[in-house]
Amino acid sequence: MKLSYRFEQTSCRLRIDGLPDLSAGHGPEVIGILSAWELDLAGHPTLEGKRDHLQALLAAVLPYARHLVSSVPRPMGLATDPVQMEPISSTRAGLRNRPAHRLRLLSSQPDTQPLELSFDDAELADLVRCLDQLRLDPRVQLGFSLPPDRPLPRREILERVPLRQRLAPPAAGLAALAITAALGLMVPLPRPTATPAASPAATPTSPLTPPR
Amino acid sequence: MADVTITAPNVEAAVEQSPPPRPSARLSRRGLERLDLMLLSVEALDLNGGEAMVWMANQLGFGSLFPNRVELWKRRCYNPLRLACRRGVLSEAETDALISLLCAMADRLYPMLRQLLSASEPEPVTQQRWQLFRSRLDELVRERLNPRRGGVQKLLDPQEGPRLQRQLVQALAFGSGRGGFDRLKASLMDAAA
Repeated sequence: MKLSYRFEQTSCRLRIDGLPDLSAGHGPEVIGILSAWELDLAGHPTLEGKRDHLQALLAAVLPYARHLVSSVPRPMGLATDPVQMEPISSTRAGLRNRPAHRLRLLSSQPDTQPLELSFDDAELADLVRCLDQLRLDPRVQLGFSLPPDRPLPRREILERVPLRQRLAPPAAGLAALAITAALGLMVPLPRPTATPAASPAATPTSPLTPPR
Repeated sequence: MADVTITAPNVEAAVEQSPPPRPSARLSRRGLERLDLMLLSVEALDLNGGEAMVWMANQLGFGSLFPNRVELWKRRCYNPLRLACRRGVLSEAETDALISLLCAMADRLYPMLRQLLSASEPEPVTQQRWQLFRSRLDELVRERLNPRRGGVQKLLDPQEGPRLQRQLVQALAFGSGRGGFDRLKASLMDAAA
């Protein structure tokens, strides 16, 4: 019996169809074998694909969201991966809401241009919540293997601080050292003092004689 | 010799009774600071946030940990930026409860977070919403945090503050709901920059 579940957020709707995997001991309500999935994103074409594509979508979008929580967006997915996620850098620095994230989908069919979709924060958050619902629903057991969320190491966090700000303290230190050294070089060396005049030749003294 | 025979069993017994805490699983002071700032942002979004948190804690089954506002406030005072700051670290159970509470509150407020972050809303309306949020958060920060701390001054700074406040709202939006717990917890345990 074919099962179909829908997960919805404001700008995003995910529908998955499948069958229970009776050999794995799933109940009649559980999707264990995925037959099709369809993702409707407001203002974008509908996406569909196979199980591997859904796995790739989860593997790109969820770690990207993990980095966004730490405010260090970073491209996810290799150039050969079917789904990639990357931040869109803007020359106009500002806090206005704008499409700041790009999802790139490589088609498995040859001679097809990659599809690029841009999202603002709200649309991406909708997509992430939809995928979270899918991931945590006990009625869907597709056995996706996703890397656990880990704390970011220091070198990844450092990217949050702009390069100029990061280089300022060592540059100031080097400048201070150079100035001190230059000043030190300008201080004249002490002149060698004139050799003291030769003291008069010592004259032997008469031995002390005890007073009589 | 006598010393060894007496102390060795005691040490073993102590180890058996309380296993050494995993230092990696605990939140650092910086993590506690961000966690409390996000809870403060929730209060800025929801005027009745303080009461809602206690109610939500009961709903989530943390009634014994946070039976009232005072107990919740005491845990939040481990934030080093607080005026009435407490020393020490929170246990993992307590921080997990606070993070779950934060995720549940963010889930409840998600429509508001979404409006703040959406580019499809009219720009003047978005600006007004941000203005309202900023003024409420600034008020709460002035009331509860220590203005002499650099972190607080940054948050209130007209240049730097809006960027930090946006990061807080973003983190709340991407960490909302049950699925956001692991993301938010891992993020709070990030290494210090």
